[in-house]
Amino acid sequence: MTSKFRIVFRKELRESLRDRRSLGLLALFTLMYPLLLGVLLHQWIDRATRPEREGIVLAVIGGAQAPTLMAQLKQKNITVHDTPPLDEAAIGDLLRAHKAAAVLRLPGKYAADYAAMRPARIELWYDSSTEQDGRRDVEDVLNAYGSNIAGARLLAHGVSPAALSPVQVQRYDTGTTAARSAGVIGGILGFLFFPAFICGLSAAVDSTAGERERRSLEVLMAQPVRTWELVAGKWLAAALLAIVGITLELMLAHAILSWMPLEEIGMSWRVSWGRLLLVCLASVPLSLFAAGMQIAVAMNARSFKEAQSVLSIVMLVPMLPGLAVSMLELKTASWMYLVPMLSNQTLLRETAKGGDIGFLPFVLTFLCSALAAWAAVAFAVWRMKSERYVLAV
Amino acid sequence: MIEAHEVRKQFGAVQALGGVSFTAHDGHITALLGPNGAGKTTLLRTLVGMLKRDHGTIAVDGVDPEHDPLAVRANIGFLTDQFGLYERLSTREYLTYFGELNGMGGSGLRQRIDDVAEMLAMDDILERRSKGFSQGQRIKVALARALLHRPRHLLLDEPTRGLDVMSTRAVRQALAALREQGCCVVMATHVMQEVSHLCDDVIVIAKGHTVAQGTPADLCRRTGIANLEDAFVRLVGTDEGIVA
Repeated sequence: MTSKFRIVFRKELRESLRDRRSLGLLALFTLMYPLLLGVLLHQWIDRATRPEREGIVLAVIGGAQAPTLMAQLKQKNITVHDTPPLDEAAIGDLLRAHKAAAVLRLPGKYAADYAAMRPARIELWYDSSTEQDGRRDVEDVLNAYGSNIAGARLLAHGVSPAALSPVQVQRYDTGTTAARSAGVIGGILGFLFFPAFICGLSAAVDSTAGERERRSLEVLMAQPVRTWELVAGKWLAAALLAIVGITLELMLAHAILSWMPLEEIGMSWRVSWGRLLLVCLASVPLSLFAAGMQIAVAMNARSFKEAQSVLSIVMLVPMLPGLAVSMLELKTASWMYLVPMLSNQTLLRETAKGGDIGFLPFVLTFLCSALAAWAAVAFAVWRMKSERYVLAV
Repeated sequence: MIEAHEVRKQFGAVQALGGVSFTAHDGHITALLGPNGAGKTTLLRTLVGMLKRDHGTIAVDGVDPEHDPLAVRANIGFLTDQFGLYERLSTREYLTYFGELNGMGGSGLRQRIDDVAEMLAMDDILERRSKGFSQGQRIKVALARALLHRPRHLLLDEPTRGLDVMSTRAVRQALAALREQGCCVVMATHVMQEVSHLCDDVIVIAKGHTVAQGTPADLCRRTGIANLEDAFVRLVGTDEGIVA
């Protein structure tokens, strides 16, 4: 007699494929996730490669009163637009429409105040909710202009302008766009494995807690089928969905990542299709583990809802080691290949760098999840055999 | 033939079965009578080997369900208050699933599904998915599942509940036909009319004990009451019957 887990497996798979909820999750995470990643990376790259200060547009009202200031602004690559007098509302509209980074308004008595050496007021209008870096540059120019004038005036009185600046600050920024983005993107790569826990979820819950809720589990357990055959059939059906989901997702992500100029943000994706398939293969047990864990947890819940709420917490646990490692900024070490999920994340990150890491990480990644999967399924079988479980069904 | 002798089962401090003994013969329909909470469900689950008894012996055609549960289950059609239908499968797919689990397959299984559907007058729902089935349709599908693999024994928990007159008749005729074929049918029920019309033997259990076994006429004679329902209440013990 052939093993009956195949009959259970076929039936669970057929039922899952007829369930719009489980198919929806599968499609959402295999397609949406890599696409979202692509869009996000595209934005990063776009920001990183945009030339510095490609010309700030500044609207100036009454600029004719200060020709020297205007000349200095133009020298600093700021485009000055002479604008007729505007009221407050009109300035607001101008800023909201992004026609200018800021508006500089020189009141009518500016020239007179300036000539009389009274503080001459200049108004700088900006919209802090939409403004970009432009306003700061304008302020820098204004400050530099002010100190120049002050220096000249002091000099005229026989005082060295150096007396005004006892301390001189020179700024050095060692952070690069690349370094800043690398951390974030490392985290994003780690989340590429999350669908392993999502794609089979619906099937795992439906075939255990759902079956209890619909009161069909007792009938099934009274059939001439061994407990391990029941569990294995349900487990493999859920795992297959997860395996298909994560493999498709990794391939799509690979296609997107290889196509993008990631070098611009200091990231690399030097992965061949062969390597990628190895990563996918090494990640198969992760899906098996995810499905096994979900079955083992969900079978104890009385309803679909209860199982889902418990699992939404349990599912975060495998993510924790990865988060801890990235927060503590630990260097890649061999032990990381012994923790399910973390091992897959580490493997992908190291593979992406393009170096030769040998086969051991692949083998360890494969084995650690396989072992965890076996433990989860063994627990589920033991639990289903127990009399207390039969009574609760 | 199902033989049980002094079967006891305890859950913690609760004595679910305190000593149940009976014999259900082949070619007989045996009614299992007992108030709610008398231990009927526990008894049925013990008979298919889902629960292990603490004491006593059980033999289904000479096989101990604890020793070889798969052989016993393959020879038992089991219908409890849980119908166990799958909303996303059609009736035929559902029956095919359970047929295959019982080792059937191919054209033999297809033919058997058609036969059972005809016997239970349920051809109209054979290709439909069970979502939205009425109570009567559900119980027919579940009964078809229990009969599918031609078991020699049937354990049925209230097989006619929720059925209209036509369907009830169809089920009763099916059971009578199975009796003719020499099946051993054990049926828990609360419908006394059904017991007097259909059943050859009656087992009365209360509080986990067998109170009486015999033909309906035997029970009436023993209690000295002509009406089976009144005889049942007397056997169970009036107070207990009401409290339980």
